[in-house]
Order: sequence, then structure tokens, then C-alpha cells
Amino acid sequence: MGLKHILPGGGTSATTGGIFGAGSPTFLTSKVDWIVNWGRRNSLWPMPFGTACCAIEMMASAASNFDLARFGMERMSFSPRQADVLICAGRVPYKLAPVLRRVWDQMPQPKWCISMGACASSGGVFDVYSMVQGIDTIVPVDVYIPGCPPRPEGLIYGLMMIQEKIRQETLTRHFEHRAEDPTRVAKPQVGDLEVAELSGPFGNSTQQDQLSSGEVVREGSTSDDLLP
Amino acid sequence: MTDKKSGSGLDAVDEGPISSDASSADHGGDEADASEHTSVAALKQRFADAVVRHRVYAGGQHVVWIDPEKSHEILSWLQADPDHHYDMMSDVTAVDYGNGRPVNVVYQMFSTVHKRELRLRCELPLDALEIDSIVDLWKVADWLEREVFDLFGVTFKGHPDLRRILMPQDYAEGHPLRKDFPLRGRFSRAEQTRRALAQDVERFYRAEDLSAGHIPQEVAPVEVGTLAQGEREGNS
Repeated sequence: MGLKHILPGGGTSATTGGIFGAGSPTFLTSKVDWIVNWGRRNSLWPMPFGTACCAIEMMASAASNFDLARFGMERMSFSPRQADVLICAGRVPYKLAPVLRRVWDQMPQPKWCISMGACASSGGVFDVYSMVQGIDTIVPVDVYIPGCPPRPEGLIYGLMMIQEKIRQETLTRHFEHRAEDPTRVAKPQVGDLEVAELSGPFGNSTQQDQLSSGEVVREGSTSDDLLP
Repeated sequence: MTDKKSGSGLDAVDEGPISSDASSADHGGDEADASEHTSVAALKQRFADAVVRHRVYAGGQHVVWIDPEKSHEILSWLQADPDHHYDMMSDVTAVDYGNGRPVNVVYQMFSTVHKRELRLRCELPLDALEIDSIVDLWKVADWLEREVFDLFGVTFKGHPDLRRILMPQDYAEGHPLRKDFPLRGRFSRAEQTRRALAQDVERFYRAEDLSAGHIPQEVAPVEVGTLAQGEREGNS
């Protein structure tokens, strides 16, 4: 049994019409890239990594009012093995960092990562000894969503940006972009200098320098210098 | 800061804790008559040499500073004596006032029998952060004392399992809630990130921790063969 017996129109049959009328072919030509990306971007299964109030907004996004399933995020995958998008919603303490990294390492390729909210993206107000200053030091992040916490519209917009990113990917370059070095499993995502730069001081950390290696006060500086 | 500018909320951050020497420390609160609180009166009478001072805060919270050497004796008496019977240990915590002043270990107790509340404090000098554990009196003190050990570095003598509870097991930067601890930790962010990712997550737990809640119950053995096929226990 071939395609022509299944599809209405029966191939190039002269008697029964195809979708473009009698005698027309019942197949379309397209690019493999387009088909693959179309499939991928409309069936993203998120791995929710909710640690704080952002997770409440994430739950609201998945509930009936905002209905994340409209965009193909039909099922929150609580197992990283079946997930495509890691949504890190909330602050991540250093004690949780290896867990986040392991969840990311367990997700199969291709995978994407959303950093939701100020804390996940930069440490937020938690510029302290126990908090990861942006999860981009732990895992590679595709989309950062600002807000404290972001509204569900923000999360949905972030997921649509992931979809837009997938739309522009090509199979030939995809794995080149996303190839992972197995020797870097459970290692910081970026080098020491980048970590220091990403977690530079702000707010009330006026007594310490960028590397936070002690109580260094710059000559002649007062706390007023650092006020906006 | 040399010149005083007003209006900046961050002044206190630059200046650090307000300095005062330990001898003239003002403990706040109101002087109160011990006769207002039955247990305080009894403590003053029975352990006269171990009671350091007595204050009342917020209208009715009686706080008694006691000698750390006698803490276990006093606490076990307060728990066991039928006139006081403090059967609930609400909280065990600590306060570091900074500038070399002693760390206070705080015991917040409640007697469900007499509906009476009492707070005890023990002052521990920074070079001798040691006090007797009270896990043998109140089992709840187990994790509370671990928390105080983790965050303040107070050693509880006789604690069955004194290890960190909130910070990672191999945390090497010290005890975070001490006033001499820098806000962002002692290591650089890069080193902190590297150490965090090198943690072995399984080491957070012991085998007993993971099996908690799964302790097999003692079940009366069912005698095999006494019931006919399909028959259930209790059927006649």
C-alpha cells in the first residue's frame, strides 16, 4: 500500500482531486531544516527547575489562564531525560549548583536553557556568600527573562524567543554549536575572569573588591560613590 | 568615614558594627523583679551563683543569663522539676554581637503544663565556643544545635552527630553568621563556583538519612496456611 492509497486524491489520479484539484500532486517539497525545526520548536518539553517565587509564575503560565500548552509545551517533564528546555526559575545557592549542572548534563541534545528572573540571571538581591551569581556560570543560557518575578507573559515571550532561535538553526551547524566536551562535565561553564566579571559587586557590597577576597576598601571611596 | 553625611542608608555598612567594649555592654531591656516569674525566682534561689542577670523585654519576655558551665544542669532541672516542667524547647539559636563580644547561645522554652515561657542565654567568649549539648534532654535540639554549629561555630559537647546542616559538608570558608565573616564569603566567586560544582551531592546524606521514614514496622507474622483459598482474615 503506497501513499497514493492513503492520501485523498490518490496521487496523480485524474478522477479524484488532490488538494490543488484533480491531477495535482499530493506532496509538498520543503527543506529538511524547516521540517526538523518546525517539529522541534513546537514540541518543546520544559524541565521545570523551580526554586523560588519565579516557580509560582511558571506554574501560573502552565495553568489554564495562560496555557503554555498552546505553544507546544504540552507536558512539564519532571525527568531531565525527556526534556528539551531547562527553565531555571528562582535563586540557586552554591549547594544546589551541582544538582542544576547534573540535571543539565542529563538532558539529551538538542537542549536549551532559560534563566527566569533576576536571581537566576545575576544573583539578584542575593549578592552574598551562598548564592550563585547568575546560572550562566554553571550552564549555558539561551534566554534571560528579566523581572522579579517575571509575569507569565514574560515566560511565554522567552519561550517564543527560544522558538525563534530554533527556527534559525540548521542541521549542519546545530551540533557544531551545541557539541559538549565530556571532560567539562561538572566544571564551571566559564573561566575565572568571566565568573568574577559576571558576579561583580553592586548594592551594599561596598567593602569588598570584585573578587571578594577580603575587606578591601578603595582609597578615598565612600559608600556614596556607589549610590545611583 | 571621617565626615558624617546624613541621609545615606549605607553608612552603617561602611562603619561596620558599632564599637563598644565588652565591659560596658548595654543589654537593653528593663530591670525586673524576679518575683514576677515563678521560674526566675526559683532559679535565683536555687542557682544563685549561676544566674548572671535577669531582664525583661517587650513587656513580658523574661530573659535570664546563666553560667555556660552550669547550663546543662539548670536546663535539665527546669525540664524535670514538676513546678516548672519546660517540656517544649521552642528554639536553640545564637547571636554574635561582633567586636569581640561574646556569642550568646539562646534557649527559648515553653511549658505546656504551666503555660509559661522562659528564655535562657549563655555568653560564650570567642576563644572558647563550647557548651554542653542538650540533645539528651530535648531531642529537637539535635538539628537546632547543628545549625548553630554550622553558622556560628559553637561546639556542643556530647552531641551525637555534630556536622554542618545548611552549608555544604566541605565548606571551608568558616561560619557565615559570625560578624567577622565577609558578606560575600572568603573565596573568590570563581573558586566558590569551582568548589560548588566539585561537590559530591550524595555525600550530603548518610545511609540512615536516606532510609528515614522507611523503617520497617513490626508486623505480627501471618500464619501461612490457616486460611483457605480466597478466605480473608475476619470472615466467618
